[in-house]
Amino acid sequence: MTQSKAMKHEPLPDPYQDEYSRTTFGFWVYLLTDFMMFATIFAVYAVLHKSTFGGPGPKELFDLPSVMNQTWVLLVATFFVGFGGASVHRKHRAGTITYFLLTFILGITFLWLQFDDLSLLVKRGASWKSNAFLSAYFTLIGTFAVHIVFGLLWIIVLILPVIKRGIDMVSVRRLTCLRMFWQFLNIIWIFIFSIVYLLGVIQ
Amino acid sequence: MIDAHHGWNLSFKPITLGFIFSLILTAAAYRIVTHYHLSNTVLTAAVVVLGCVQAVLQLIFFLHIGLESKPHWNTMFLLYMVFLIIILVGGSIWIMHHLGYNVMPTMDKLHNMW
Repeated sequence: MTQSKAMKHEPLPDPYQDEYSRTTFGFWVYLLTDFMMFATIFAVYAVLHKSTFGGPGPKELFDLPSVMNQTWVLLVATFFVGFGGASVHRKHRAGTITYFLLTFILGITFLWLQFDDLSLLVKRGASWKSNAFLSAYFTLIGTFAVHIVFGLLWIIVLILPVIKRGIDMVSVRRLTCLRMFWQFLNIIWIFIFSIVYLLGVIQ
Repeated sequence: MIDAHHGWNLSFKPITLGFIFSLILTAAAYRIVTHYHLSNTVLTAAVVVLGCVQAVLQLIFFLHIGLESKPHWNTMFLLYMVFLIIILVGGSIWIMHHLGYNVMPTMDKLHNMW
């Protein structure tokens, strides 16, 4: 575009000028591409969930009450991460540290419950090597668990500077991204819980 | 600058509301599946609808989607991604179902072959 042409238009008001808005928007774009990756794995699971090679299917293998416990733990963790995010914006240092550490503890609990469930499946002979359905299932759940692990590492990395130095502009921005990451994972879990577990037990 | 989103970044209220809605919807979906003997079609529809409602509520109350100032880039990008995902997931299920139907030998087809 030439200079004169650009001068003709009034500059539009751009709400994404400051660094905070640009970073959170960019992070949102990343989260949506992550959403796309989960959707691809979901599509694989949807295509393969009946290919059990004569073995037990979702109805026989999934332990719904245990999955329900995982869901409650993750939901409460998401609740606390939201409170943590609000505390950061209010510059409440003690609140921020408390809520993010509570999220951390609940995240560990979630992983532990999930690991318990999956190792029970493997012990019963239903590992990812058994059939296409279980390969797709372990890929989906494993990808989710890896995201949670990185979320937990991220909490440690971001909370330590807050404990040491307090809250500044940088930590507000970073902790907001972390909050969005965790809340996004909970939305993915809604779909895993509804489609993989609840609908798996129906069929 | 920082609280551009109607002060929602500072408030505990939308998080609490979203949390209560999520608790109710999750419990409802679980109870429908475990306690009621409905037909599979009805159950599937109910679980999918409850899940989608909960996802939308969490997007609004937790991630403040749709509340950002104009132009709504966050919302537009989300809607475009949802459109792509519907094509990707729906298309995969559809095409693989037909492929399986046409290519893979079923048991009675195998019997006819022998």
